[in-house]
Amino acid sequence: MKRASSITTWPKPAGAPHPVACHFCDTLHDAAAVPEGTAARCKRCGAVLYQNRAASLVRVTAFSLTALILMGIVNLFPFLTMEANGIKTELSLFRAARELIREGSPAIGWCVAIFTIVAPLVMAGGMLYVCGPLLRGRAAPGARHVARWLGHTEPWNMIEVFLLGVLVSLMKLGKMADLYFGVGFWAFAALMVCMAAAVAGIDRNELWDRLEVAEE
Amino acid sequence: MNPRLPRAIDQGLASCHVCGKVTPVVAHRCPRCGSALHLRKPASLKRTVALLLAALALYAPANMLPVMTISEIGNVMASTILQGMVEFWRREAYPIAIVIFVASIMIPIVKIVALVWLCAAASGKVHPSPRILGRIYWFTELLGRWSMVDIFVVSILVALVQFGAYMNVTPGPGALAFAGVVVLTMFAAMSFDPRLLWDRLEILNAAKTPQPPPDRE
Repeated sequence: MKRASSITTWPKPAGAPHPVACHFCDTLHDAAAVPEGTAARCKRCGAVLYQNRAASLVRVTAFSLTALILMGIVNLFPFLTMEANGIKTELSLFRAARELIREGSPAIGWCVAIFTIVAPLVMAGGMLYVCGPLLRGRAAPGARHVARWLGHTEPWNMIEVFLLGVLVSLMKLGKMADLYFGVGFWAFAALMVCMAAAVAGIDRNELWDRLEVAEE
Repeated sequence: MNPRLPRAIDQGLASCHVCGKVTPVVAHRCPRCGSALHLRKPASLKRTVALLLAALALYAPANMLPVMTISEIGNVMASTILQGMVEFWRREAYPIAIVIFVASIMIPIVKIVALVWLCAAASGKVHPSPRILGRIYWFTELLGRWSMVDIFVVSILVALVQFGAYMNVTPGPGALAFAGVVVLTMFAAMSFDPRLLWDRLEILNAAKTPQPPPDRE
């Protein structure tokens, strides 16, 4: 074991130190442990190679579990209510996607459903499924496949963009009608924060190293 | 700066696109996560250019056709992305107008131009300057998704504004084209491989030193 004793880091698979290549310039480095809360950077281009997040597994598990609960609240309680001319209409994530499908734009409707419902659900559920058992040093069955899908799903999770869309819509509708925020809206804002914290909570290299160690 | 830092490709090593593990490329599949291994993203430039051309083809309809139709007591008004922004500007909602301008008009065009430039640099038509262009690439990948905001606005208005003959919003054909531009440029950015810029620099440096010292290692 050549590991510096003062540095707290995640368990490495057998045969450490492993090489790591920069994703921007392909420069090879030995993946030395870095102190918690810091990042290892590429010698040539300065891009981040990997990061050592403090309490990563606990954080990811906690935030992804909270995100899943918040998703339930977002979909159960009214998000935004609009009242005009004595008629009330309600907004929910499901309705935002469904009405587009009904009004003759099924392709965009499905895109909206994927970006605001499916991708966040896969991300939060997947991270909980992979990182929960890892807390006790175990790999859940099929965890590798789930972890692979997490990487593919990440760019399509757009809940923060949807929230900006809500704000722009509010400005557009402001003068036309009365608008009320529901519990769902605040849950959605909290969901955005939890998702961002969960995604940023663990480095990809750490996640895969831990999976590899757990499966050995 | 040491220009002779070892690259993974020189030693036949590939870093997995999915899990980051560095393995000899002859293994074909990553031993850790099972993904296909490549030294560079496969057909990176061809795919990026093809997706960019598709995005460019949709760019005109995305901006000319209405993204939604607002009918208010018999008045039917179609609204394009640009009209939506101008409307906010006229109502003196400047911050929102600027947000819409940046997210929906500036980012898509900057992204397309940046990716065309990156492809030209990676294929040797302009100087690679990978340090700056790498930064630009990272930025395009980060910002691309925010262009989707106008599509979400359409979906929210369509779901909320349903008051029959009094006031109604329906999606327009421009929305599909616009969503297409955003999704296609996102795929284009994903299929571009920034390591190609450094490869090009390596070729340039090799050309500058006519007689490289034989067998340094």
